[in-house]
Order: sequence, then C-alpha cells, then structure tokens
Amino acid sequence: MLKNYFKIAIAVLRRRKFFTFISLFGISFTLTILLVLTAFIDKVVGDNYPDRKRDRSLYIARLEEVGKGNMSSGAPSYYFLDHFARNLKTPAKMAICSGFNGTNTYINNKKIAVNYKYTDAVYWDIMEYDFVEGKAFDKKQVENAEKVAVISEDMKNEYFGDVPSVIGKYIEADNVKYRVTGVVKNIPITSYMTYSDIYLPYTVSKSDYKDKGYRGGYTAILLANSKDDLPKMHDEYDQMVQRIPMESKDFNKIYSHADKYIAAYVDTGNENQSGVVLVLTIISVFVFLFMLLPTLNLVNINITRIMERSSEIGVRKAFGASSKTLVYQFIVENIILTLLGGLAGLFLSIVAIYIINSANLIPNLELSVNFTVLFIGLLVCLFFGLLSGVYPAWRMSKLDVVTALKAQ
Amino acid sequence: MFKHLFKLIWNKKKQNFLLMSEILVSFLVIFAVFTLVVYYYHNYKKPMGLDYQGVWVINYSNSYQTKNTDSLNLYYSTLVQTIKSLPQVKQVSFTADNTPFTQNMNTGGITFNNKKMDGNNWYTVDDNYKNVLNMDLLEGRWFNKGDYATKSKPIVINSDLKEKLFGNGSALGKLIGDGDNKSKMRVIGVVQSIKIKGDYANTEAGLYQRTDTGSFRWLGKMLVKVTPDADATFEGKLYKTVANYMKNSDVEIEHLADKRVSINYFTLVPIIVLLIVACFLIINVALGLFGVLWYNINKRRGEIGLRRAIGATGNSVSSQLVFEAMILATLSLIIGTFFAIQFPLLNVFSLPASVYIIALFLSIIFIYLLVFVCSLHPGKQAAAIYPAVALHEE
Amino acid sequence: MIRLQNIEKVYRTSTVETLALSSINLDIAKGEFLSIMGPSGCGKSTLLNIMGLLDAPSKGDIKIDNQKTDHLSDKQLAAFRNKKLGFIFQSYHLINDLQVLDNVELPLLYRDSTAKERKMLATEALEKVGLANRVKHFPNQLSGGQKQRVAIARAIVGRPEIILADEPTGNLDSAMGSEILDILLQLNQKDGTTIVMVTHDENMAHKTHRLVRLFDGSQVQ
Repeated sequence: MLKNYFKIAIAVLRRRKFFTFISLFGISFTLTILLVLTAFIDKVVGDNYPDRKRDRSLYIARLEEVGKGNMSSGAPSYYFLDHFARNLKTPAKMAICSGFNGTNTYINNKKIAVNYKYTDAVYWDIMEYDFVEGKAFDKKQVENAEKVAVISEDMKNEYFGDVPSVIGKYIEADNVKYRVTGVVKNIPITSYMTYSDIYLPYTVSKSDYKDKGYRGGYTAILLANSKDDLPKMHDEYDQMVQRIPMESKDFNKIYSHADKYIAAYVDTGNENQSGVVLVLTIISVFVFLFMLLPTLNLVNINITRIMERSSEIGVRKAFGASSKTLVYQFIVENIILTLLGGLAGLFLSIVAIYIINSANLIPNLELSVNFTVLFIGLLVCLFFGLLSGVYPAWRMSKLDVVTALKAQ
Repeated sequence: MFKHLFKLIWNKKKQNFLLMSEILVSFLVIFAVFTLVVYYYHNYKKPMGLDYQGVWVINYSNSYQTKNTDSLNLYYSTLVQTIKSLPQVKQVSFTADNTPFTQNMNTGGITFNNKKMDGNNWYTVDDNYKNVLNMDLLEGRWFNKGDYATKSKPIVINSDLKEKLFGNGSALGKLIGDGDNKSKMRVIGVVQSIKIKGDYANTEAGLYQRTDTGSFRWLGKMLVKVTPDADATFEGKLYKTVANYMKNSDVEIEHLADKRVSINYFTLVPIIVLLIVACFLIINVALGLFGVLWYNINKRRGEIGLRRAIGATGNSVSSQLVFEAMILATLSLIIGTFFAIQFPLLNVFSLPASVYIIALFLSIIFIYLLVFVCSLHPGKQAAAIYPAVALHEE
Repeated sequence: MIRLQNIEKVYRTSTVETLALSSINLDIAKGEFLSIMGPSGCGKSTLLNIMGLLDAPSKGDIKIDNQKTDHLSDKQLAAFRNKKLGFIFQSYHLINDLQVLDNVELPLLYRDSTAKERKMLATEALEKVGLANRVKHFPNQLSGGQKQRVAIARAIVGRPEIILADEPTGNLDSAMGSEILDILLQLNQKDGTTIVMVTHDENMAHKTHRLVRLFDGSQVQ
C-alpha cells in the first residue's frame, strides 16, 4: 500500500510541476533559514572546543548583591572565588580566569588590538585547548608571577607574521613584554567564556587580584568527578553562598550560582529573569512567526491542489476508498514533498553556510551542517509536512462524492 | 461592478479566508520591515551632531589611588599636560564611560515642574568635551572654569531633552530637579543632540553635567582630538606616554571612527538579515498567490466563458479577476491596518508616529503592487479562455 | 434575423483535420422558433456557437440583423452579444457564489445601467419565469428546473432579440422540460423573441416552427 501511495505521489508531483515547484521552494527556503539558525545556535552554544569536559563542569560567572532598593550584579572577584568557592568539597578541580579585556600593542608602525585574559594553571588542566606549538604555563610560573603568555594562532600571525615557531619570543601587550610559552587554535568571540588573543597568569595582573571586594572580573569553572555529581556540586555552592557574610551594610542578600554552560552563557545578569527561558522564548516566537507565513502558503497551495483533484478523489471514493485512506495518501504525498524540499533545503543550507563562512562575519566562527542540525532539519521537515498536510487532508475527506465527481 | 465583485468575494469568504489571512500576515511582516527601514532612514537623515574624525578614546583602569583630592587632580592635570605637549594632540577631554558609539549607558530620571521623567541619559564630561567632539551649541554656552562654584549646579541639555521639557520655549536659566532651589540644576546651554549610538540610531534626551573635583576617582575614559597627520607611529608614542605615566593601569586606545563603523555594523547586520528573510518570504508568498489565483481561474472557466457569452470583453474579464484580487487584498489590508495603527496609537516602542504612518503607506502600496503583479498573468490567461470551449466542458 | 451562408468549420490539430460543419445555409426570420436536432457530435453546438458569435467559422458569412459580423473586434463582439443575444445552456452555468438576483443581473453589468434599473429588470425577468420568490437563494439551493428558469431569466433580462438555447432541457426530467419549453414558447409568442434551440427531444422540436436536422456537420433537412 505504501509503495502504491509513493508511486501516486511521485506521479502527481510530476504532473503538477508548477505547484510542486512552489511547494518545494517554500519548504526548502524555510528549512534553509531554520538550518542556518540551528547551525549558528549549535556552533555558538554547542561547540565544546576547548571546554570538552563541559558536561561535568559548572560555571560561576555572576554575583548579585541585593539591598533595599539597590542591586549590583557582575562577575565575582578573584578573592571571592578563591576564598569561598575554593572550599567546596565536591569539585575535583577548580579553575579561575578573568573575562577578556582589550588593550593595544604597536609593532612596525602598526596597531594591533589585543584581547587578554588572566587564568590560573588549573584552567589549562580543565580546558583542552589544542596547542599548535609549545604548552601552557604551569603552577610554578603562575606562583612566581612570571611574565609568560599563551597566544592564539591569529595573534601569532598578526604579531610575528608567518614564522615557524614563536616559543620563547617576546610579545608586548599593554606596555609589558611577555614570553610566549604556547600557541593555541583560534576560538570565535562568541565563545566569550574561553575566547582571548593572549592568556596571562592572573598573578601578573596590573589590578590587585588580592583585593577583598566581592565583585571583580573573574569566573570559576568547577569540574566534578562525574556528571552525576553536578546537582550535588550545584547545591553545595548554593548552600555555601547562603552562609557568606555580606560585603557591606548596603546589602542583605547575595545570589550566585554554579550553572551549567548554557545557563551561564545566556545569563541575563538579573536573578529574577532566567536567561534560558528568555532566549528560548525569543527563539520560539521568532521561529513561530517566521514559519507561519510559509505554512499558510503551503496549506493554501495544498488545498488548491486537492480541489483540483476533486474528481480523482470522487472516483476513488466511489470505488471504495475510505476517507481515511485518502487522508493517508495525501499526507504521504505531502511528506514526500516535504522530504524532497528538505533535501533541497539541506543543499541550499550547505551553500548558505559556505557563503556565511567565507564572508567571515564573525572571525573564526566556522558554521557547519552537523548531524544535530541535520536531525533537527529532518524533524522540522516532517513537522512541516504534517502541519501543511493535515488541514487540507481533512478538507479533502469532507469532500462530497457527488460534487467531487461533478466538478471538473 | 464593484458591488458585484464584492458580493462574489463575500459569498466565497470561506474559500478566500486562507488567502486573505496569508495576505494579512504578509502585510504585517512587510509593515514590520518597512517600519524598521523607515525608522533607520529617518535616523540616518538626522545630523550626526558630532565630529568623530580624528577623535581617539583612551580607556584606562583607575590606577591612581589617593585619599587626597588635590594630589588626585594634580596627577590628572599633569597627565593632560603631558598628552597635550605632543604636537599632534589638539584637545583632551575626560568623560564617563558612556562615550559615543559604545553600548554603555547611564540613564536616570529628572524632575521638572514636579513631574518625574525617566530614561534620560546622564553624561559626566569636562569643559573640553564639546570642542573635542565639535558639537553644535544651539543656545547659551558650554561649561567653563567659572562653573566651579556656582549656587545651583550648571547643566547643558541636548535638543531632545529641551523639547521634552520646554517645547518651543527657551530653556536657558531654567531650574531642573526637585527639592529647594539649592539642589536644583540650572540650564546654561542647549546643544544639538548627537547620534551617540551610531548613524542609524535615534537621538535620545540627555543632559551633561560637569566633572567635579572627586570625579577622577571613578572616570575611566579620555577623548583625544588629534591632527589629521596622526598615524600609527604617533599612536604608539601616545600609548607609551600614557602607559608609562599610569604604570598600574591597563590602557587601550580606540578610534571613534572605527567604533562608529562597528556600531553601525551591529545595527545594520540584523536588518540586512531581516531583509533577506523577508525578501524570500515575499517571493514565497508571491508564488503561492500566483498559484492559487491561477488555479482559481481554471476552476472558474465555466463562469468566465459565460461572462464572455453574455457580453464581457476579454479585457473586462481579466480586469475583473485582477480587481477581485485587489478587493481581497483590500479586505486583508483593512484588518491589517487596524492592527498596524495600534502601534502609533499605543506608542509601542516609542517610535515617532510619522515612521509608522509612512511604513503603513509603503506596506499598503507594496501589498497592492504584489497582489496586482501576481494576478496580472492569471487575469490575462482568463481573458484568453475561449468561451465556446469553456461553456461546453461540462 | 440570422443569415448563415456557406458556413464551414474545420478544427485543426497538428495531425488531424476535423470537419465540424460544412456548407450550412440557414435563414432565420425574426420571431421564428427554430430547433436543431442531430446525433451527438454532429456539430449542433458548433453551429450554435457560431450563431452566438462565440466561435468564428472557417469559411462563410454570418449576418445578424442584416449586419456582417466578421470584421468586429473583441470589444464590439462582446457588446453585440450583450445587446442582441441571450444564451441558455444545458448545464445552466449559474455562478454558485452569487444569489439568484445577482446571477440574473449579470448581463446588465456589462452595459450602462444603474443598480436600481438592474434590480428592476432582474426582478421583472424572474417574475416572467415564475421565480420572484426565490431572489435571495443561491443556485445550489434550487432544483434543476428552477436553475434553468434562472438561466432563462438571465438570458432575457437584457431584452435580446435572439435567444440561443443549447439543449436547455437536457438535464431535466420531462415534466420540468416541458415547463421550460412552455416558457420559451411564451417568450416567442408574446415578446416575439427569435429562438434557436438545440435539442434531442423530437416532441419538443415538433412544437417549434421549424426543425433543422444536422448529420456529420451537414444540413440534412
């Protein structure tokens, strides 16, 4: 039976080339947009270079102090993380790093904008940066506040030019010379928690990392022994935060959480507004509005196609096809059409992604159609096929045999 | 004839419902796109209000810590002298973080005539700020050294805030703020609002207050106006000068011109993406409309044949079909306009009403054009239907 | 009223030439009621189309009301049909989405007329066919006979001198059929309308003034 449906579907689609084209155009284009969108989201929040242990890590990226009528929110200080978070029992390891900041350097009468980031030695343990050459700075170098640096490939090329090795050479940034110990593969700026051009030991920071204020520019990454420990780690930190003394009289409550990557990534900076919910809402509203039009269009075309075939439907019904089988046939037809459109959409997405990549809108952000995206694409396809097929199919099953036979 | 066609459509409202809702949704999408485009264009046409060429921003982290305000001021005036001694430097100005073309904002309410108004930008700047950015002074004067010890705090407001508070009246000498006259601020000048968020963003109401003796504790930016021959070599020199003077500070130099390009980029990229998406959506809808109309013609061959038989010319048949599509569009547009008009009425997103109205007109014209183009060919086809054949098909 | 001279109609496709009509000569007087009979595919409908100026003959001349028609443009033809001719079809060809009154008004829309005039004339025409109480109905709420009466009302609303009826009773049972024929006969007698009717029914044909038989595109009687 299914084979029969399939045959009929192909025959119908071939006979009505114009309608088939319109449907395919709509489906494939809509899918292309959705696929590029998912590829982008997948790359931005799903790419786990260099934090490959992300599934057993939690991030402390924000501290909110609330008082009567005032609130202050931002990244915690090194002191806060080192003094309080360090005491947690569950984490196997804890790394502390700063966000990235900008400065300049001038070489050969050329200005280079440099983003730098301070880290401790454990950071290199937890993160799995791909080293093109050399290695990270170690614990001893950090303790001795040695002026050493890990730089990105882009920085290497920009600062030193095309030379085979830069290990041991000096790079000047923020008016200080640092010795290069390693070069790592580039990270797009969208992975803002790990992105930088230059990584430096936090001990060489010009601002005082020993300052006892709670707020600073640092983030902690807690690594658990296993994925199962994450809830425990999360709760332990939450409980600990409850016991932390207030920084000043202005405040009466401190909020800070050890969150999973996604939650930390889309954090809104406000305790009462969940970033994940917000982002999901925005995306779903956009996708809904965006899909409304093509779907309406498809439904319209599908109804038109059905009405056009009313005599065929009449004949089928007269010869004993039940409404149900007809609905099935029509839905199968639609799904085949949608899958074909999906195929075309996939092809278009590859082209679109290629164009986006070569336009280099965001440096180092290499989008790709991966299996997650493909899977999502297929799901979207099927959803589309059903959505645009069910209402017309229902209309069709309602069609009266006599009128259907009479109509041309 | 119009009434006749209207009846025809009205009686077929069930079949036409989907088509109408599709036109309606397209209209709303187009309205949104046009609103944005018109809004950006509207902003783009406004004067920039500042001269960004040759203005550099020096970001520094607050490094010099002292309890003594005098030595703090001495420290920074020495820095200014040092920078100014460089031949390419024309002017130096200190400002709070909300410099032009950044996302930094500092907004707050002000009270005037016992009415509190929120969402005004507060800029803390010094005496040289206006000259560094070459801003247009419309009334009164900018700050000078004499403002150091006045009774009520002197402020300069921008043209947007002036309009908000005083309309067409004069602002000079007026007192703003609550409490007694002592704590009120006196308007000493009005400047042209500047497009501080880039070419495509609207100007916002704002007021400028003068830096005071303690401000250096928290200020973190300098604006430096340089001569046109200032190049990267000079920038390197300037950088060294500043970095050597502020030993414990992280220093970064940015160019306003570059920052303008990048903030424009951030405003333009979303709308370009939106335009591409809308473009494809419209092609999609156009094809769909065309298909449905074309099919409807085929379905109505009998009717068309009959109309020809009883005296309709080919042209009148084809214009009838085009006209029918236009009436359908009109019905959708009436509903759409009802929704769209709520935006200026309810002042959603606080865009100027004129932007919405222009966008509304443009979208209506666009939808009519779209429907017209899509129905033209099916209409022509209908005209070509041979009545003798069409009437004997059944 | 209608004069056909040496009418010939050939349908050409790329491979086949079909002779639908050959050397038809027919003179229909004003006020005459003529019926045309013949088996399926003999060219009756083609002949009627040619008389109705819906189709042009391959050869020959048609004069209606002593006026040659071969040189008329599309626009002139349309106006000509609108004023002089009324059509009735076997399958009624009513517009399902319009009420009875609107259907009847249809021909008047293609000439200068006011809404009031149209309504008056249409009501009058409906009264003539005995459907004055059905004006607000939609066609699919009517029986076959009623539909055909609406179609007749539509055909006469513009007061044409000629009515062309293509098997007007073909879809109806004999009772309804004779009802329709009665209306047509009455129109012919009272108003003096010239009527040409294609029919399959010998009895009906014999009630008219003259009978023309076609066979394979030629006039046999």
